[in-house]
Amino acid sequence: MAPMELIIELLLMPLVAFVVGMMMVLMMRRIAAKLQRRIGPPFFQPLYDIVKLHSKQTQISHGLIHDIGIVMAMGGYIAAETLLPVPGMTGIAEKGGIITLLYLMMIPSLGLALGVGQCANPNGSIGIARALTAMLAYDIPLVIVIFGVAYAAGTTNLVDIIAVQQAGGFETWGAVQMPVLAIAGLIAMHASLGKQPFEIYIAPAEIATGPMVEMSGKYLGGLFVMQCFQLYTTSVLYVSLFLGGGTTWFDFLLKSFLVLAIPVSIAYLFPRYRTEDLLRLMWKWPVMLGLIGVAFVL
Amino acid sequence: MSSIKQIPVITERKGNPLARVFDEFVRFCRSRSLFILHYCTGCGAIELPPAMTSRFDMERLGIQPMVSPRQADILLITGYVSIKTLKRVILTYEQMGSPKYVIGICSCTVNGGMYWQSYATAKKLDEYMPVDLYIAGCMPRPEAVLAGLQKLMDRIHSGEANSWEDYFRNYDYYLGNQQKLFGENWQTPTDIITEAKHYDLIDEGTFGKHTQLLEQHQKPLEALDMRLGHDLKEPTE
Ligand code: SF4
Repeated sequence: MAPMELIIELLLMPLVAFVVGMMMVLMMRRIAAKLQRRIGPPFFQPLYDIVKLHSKQTQISHGLIHDIGIVMAMGGYIAAETLLPVPGMTGIAEKGGIITLLYLMMIPSLGLALGVGQCANPNGSIGIARALTAMLAYDIPLVIVIFGVAYAAGTTNLVDIIAVQQAGGFETWGAVQMPVLAIAGLIAMHASLGKQPFEIYIAPAEIATGPMVEMSGKYLGGLFVMQCFQLYTTSVLYVSLFLGGGTTWFDFLLKSFLVLAIPVSIAYLFPRYRTEDLLRLMWKWPVMLGLIGVAFVL
Repeated sequence: MSSIKQIPVITERKGNPLARVFDEFVRFCRSRSLFILHYCTGCGAIELPPAMTSRFDMERLGIQPMVSPRQADILLITGYVSIKTLKRVILTYEQMGSPKYVIGICSCTVNGGMYWQSYATAKKLDEYMPVDLYIAGCMPRPEAVLAGLQKLMDRIHSGEANSWEDYFRNYDYYLGNQQKLFGENWQTPTDIITEAKHYDLIDEGTFGKHTQLLEQHQKPLEALDMRLGHDLKEPTE
């Protein structure tokens, strides 16, 4: 690939992810509104929020590590986007592979932990401790699921995994070939979104939004941007692993939005678990399902 | 404070038309995305849940509840403020990031309402912090709350809602009233005068005899001592 083309793709992929991510945030809030019989926010609401937060006159920084933490939280996802193939653009997905992607998806939580640590707010520290515990909880089933998929496809290269699934149409999709793994993956993905039954680290009523408690202005804005990327990354990863990626933009976006709609619509019907319950649940059911699924694949 | 001088002057960047478009866009976004921190001090708070949930749905106006003062734009004071509460309200207000707006819901924030004769409530909220908007009523219905919020949105969009600057410009007045209630040793953890210098909002009203009094006894702010363990003894002086 010509270097110029690659640079353009590397710039375009995070940008597309951001725009699609904002639409996903909107969808999430609209679904919540529909479930609660409300009208919900206007179409450009996520954009308004982000612009407003970045244009606040007071920008309270708690120090250098705070700044770096937010940059890491966003940067981790921005780097992850370049490893996620979308229709027509593969970026550096062929060279990176899925293991690098998994590592990059952990960076935001660690960056957040650094940044929040310097805020010296007890609520933030509790929140981040919970966030890291939650990461431990959902990463184990996620790794099992990804191992299963990679083993079945015989490669850790996302582009190849997608190609294998697209080879025979609907029947070769990961979700059809490995339904047990797909269910385990869905649960792990739901937990990694940090939405309601697993919303242990935001918990506004208990620890005042945890990691976000001391964030204001552009720092909170950065976290809003991070949320857009997070939704996009999680759902596109699932689509690439189990639903055969996308051949055209239309079916790619349709699949990603539909996949995201499942956990989001479940989320707003439930209260949340405690940390230890989350750990117990995640290490029992998705891990069990994942191991069964892997046993089928082997 | 209602002398002619306090009428807000809209300063626009002249010349560059792009800058003006940008300012307009930012003002629009500010008016369409408001995070509220509801400080539920009195009975008026009971009208907020219907205003937020299915029946009246604040979110369609872009208004969302938030839980910490750092994240919020609007401070909603819903009802009477007792003197003890007022201290917390002021601390909360000073921690919010500007531009920030204060809405006083209920008659009790306007003039004390039915607590006029109480020794323990602060009567007029705008003696202690600049208030952008009052929504009168005992208690105002959710329609009134939403109408008030829409009015605030219009004012933010047109650039009139900058009463937060007033707190810096007339800090002496507000501090004086606060000292009258809380005693002369009143000090908040936020250094308003340094902040006013930072925003370039120093005016005649910023300094006065009350800020002098503050400077006399002001203790420098120290970072919190972060320690693990159960040693919760109060530091002895
Ligand atoms: S105005 Fe009426 S409803 Fe509101 S706080 Fe006062 S007494 Fe309560």
